[in-house]
Amino acid sequence: MNWGWVASNTHQITAALLQHVQLVGLALLFGFLIAFPLALLAVRWPRLYGPSLAVTGVMFTIPSLALFILLMPFTGLSMATSLIGLTIYTLLILFRNIVQGLRGVSPSVREAARALGYTPARRLFTVELPIALPVIVAGIRIAAVTIIGMVTVTALIGQGGLGQLFITGFTLSFATPLVIGFVLSVMLAVAVDLALVGIQYWLTPWQRGVR
Amino acid sequence: MTNDHRQRASAEDRDTHDSSAIVFEGVTKRYGDGTVAVDKLDLTLPAGELTVLVGPSGCGKTTTLRMINRLETLSEGQLLIGDRDVMSVDATRLRRQIGYVMQHSGLFPHKTIADNIAVVPRLLGWGKKRIRERVAELVELVGLDEALAERYPHQLSGGQQQRVGLARALAADPPILLMDEPFAAVDPIVRTHLQEEFLSLQRRVQKTIVMVTHDIDEAMKLGDRVAIFAQGGRLAQFDTPAQLLSAPASDFVVDFIGADRELRRLALERLDSLELDAGLTAPRDEIVARARSYLQQAGSGGIVVLDEQRAPLGWLDWDTLKQADDRARIDSLSLKPWRHRLYLHDNLRSALNALISSPGEVMPVLNAQGRYMGVIDQLQLTRRLS
Repeated sequence: MNWGWVASNTHQITAALLQHVQLVGLALLFGFLIAFPLALLAVRWPRLYGPSLAVTGVMFTIPSLALFILLMPFTGLSMATSLIGLTIYTLLILFRNIVQGLRGVSPSVREAARALGYTPARRLFTVELPIALPVIVAGIRIAAVTIIGMVTVTALIGQGGLGQLFITGFTLSFATPLVIGFVLSVMLAVAVDLALVGIQYWLTPWQRGVR
Repeated sequence: MTNDHRQRASAEDRDTHDSSAIVFEGVTKRYGDGTVAVDKLDLTLPAGELTVLVGPSGCGKTTTLRMINRLETLSEGQLLIGDRDVMSVDATRLRRQIGYVMQHSGLFPHKTIADNIAVVPRLLGWGKKRIRERVAELVELVGLDEALAERYPHQLSGGQQQRVGLARALAADPPILLMDEPFAAVDPIVRTHLQEEFLSLQRRVQKTIVMVTHDIDEAMKLGDRVAIFAQGGRLAQFDTPAQLLSAPASDFVVDFIGADRELRRLALERLDSLELDAGLTAPRDEIVARARSYLQQAGSGGIVVLDEQRAPLGWLDWDTLKQADDRARIDSLSLKPWRHRLYLHDNLRSALNALISSPGEVMPVLNAQGRYMGVIDQLQLTRRLS
């Protein structure tokens, strides 16, 4: 470990970390914005579930490098290329978990909400979503951790957050950036996961003491 | 068992101006696949009464209930609440004005008990203070411990959850309450207890209640009126429990009510509706010779011995009496006690039960203070049934 390099490159390391967080955050956000309405449709019309799952599943299996190369002609070496790719990888996980969470709401609870005079929208936002929350958050956690690892690959198209440190280390045959990039990436994954667990705990007081 | 709600049922002409009677006029429910769940139903559920819909599974009783708050849409006919056609009202608004209790409480697992109860008042936009006061009132009304208000449903027993379900349904004080097998999911002991409490609650709140059950015992016990449905969504008979028992309209009704119809009829009448026999009694300080002569004159097999407060001490039979010393006090002999105490407000079914285990051929009946009022024997009960 060359601590001198670390000290003189703090700025570069911080920028890489911030870009990493930004890419992950935006990919999750866009992924959720797409998966959520899709999941609502699939819950409302169960026939849509199979095809939606198949499409998002196939997209999930495209090797990441291949996907970025496929997108290059359209969006070039931009952040958009990176984001589109990462977003696509969140879709399957988010979609499946939102659907499962909503389906897990017991029919008698759904029925009670209807019988007591909830409008469909109010039922969704104040009854079904809160109850589905733990399953949805579980999906976000998996998606986040998956994406945090995958961001580094996008370094090959000039993005990549902490992945850039790998490139630097590799081209200079110099271990320190590799180690820093690796450690920060793992720490980020752990921190994000813990933060999500904390948010879930705070949002679901009824779950405390169960299990 | 308490039966005074039945007196209420016989007063047919009360509350006619109340607008919350529920009227089915030629109502049919047909599903997409052509199955007819309810077939041309004409039925008027009087305001302020508890009507029970009962019948075998698949008879359309639940569908009938669910059409009232439009959880099911009717295919034909008209359904009126008061003079309002339910189909002309917005379904969401209609449901907020009708209480609904379901089999598995259907409580919201993510809300505290207090928040569960407050659901409909919140939907109706009540102020915070008013909601808080109403919740406190309801917690007490349904007999819940206040300490439970901040807990979550999964921390409560089935019986407690069912109470919360009832409180939630009553929260906005709706004139109508619909109950779909409300006591089916709790164990029998808790069920009996909840039923009793529910009856006394209904006596206070006087809602128009429609309850679905598959349990004919429950129907007869709770209903001011009972609608018996037959397969295919047809109404077999709609009447008071007493009428169903004494004048069943068809063989189906007879079968459905069951073979012990006579015993059920006994359960619907109270001892104070009978003229009790004065019976043969003697004070405890009576001497054996005198008691013996009473018995011989009356041709009875025994005598009821009373204490100074005229509470029965026990049964003195002829066999004991004839071997005893003439001058002994009768309370020095071995008196046979009764295993049951029978009061004027008990029903005839309890009376029969007590008679069977009585040491003598008669059973003393007490007033509320425990004083002797007379006796009942099997002949009186048999005469009552015929």
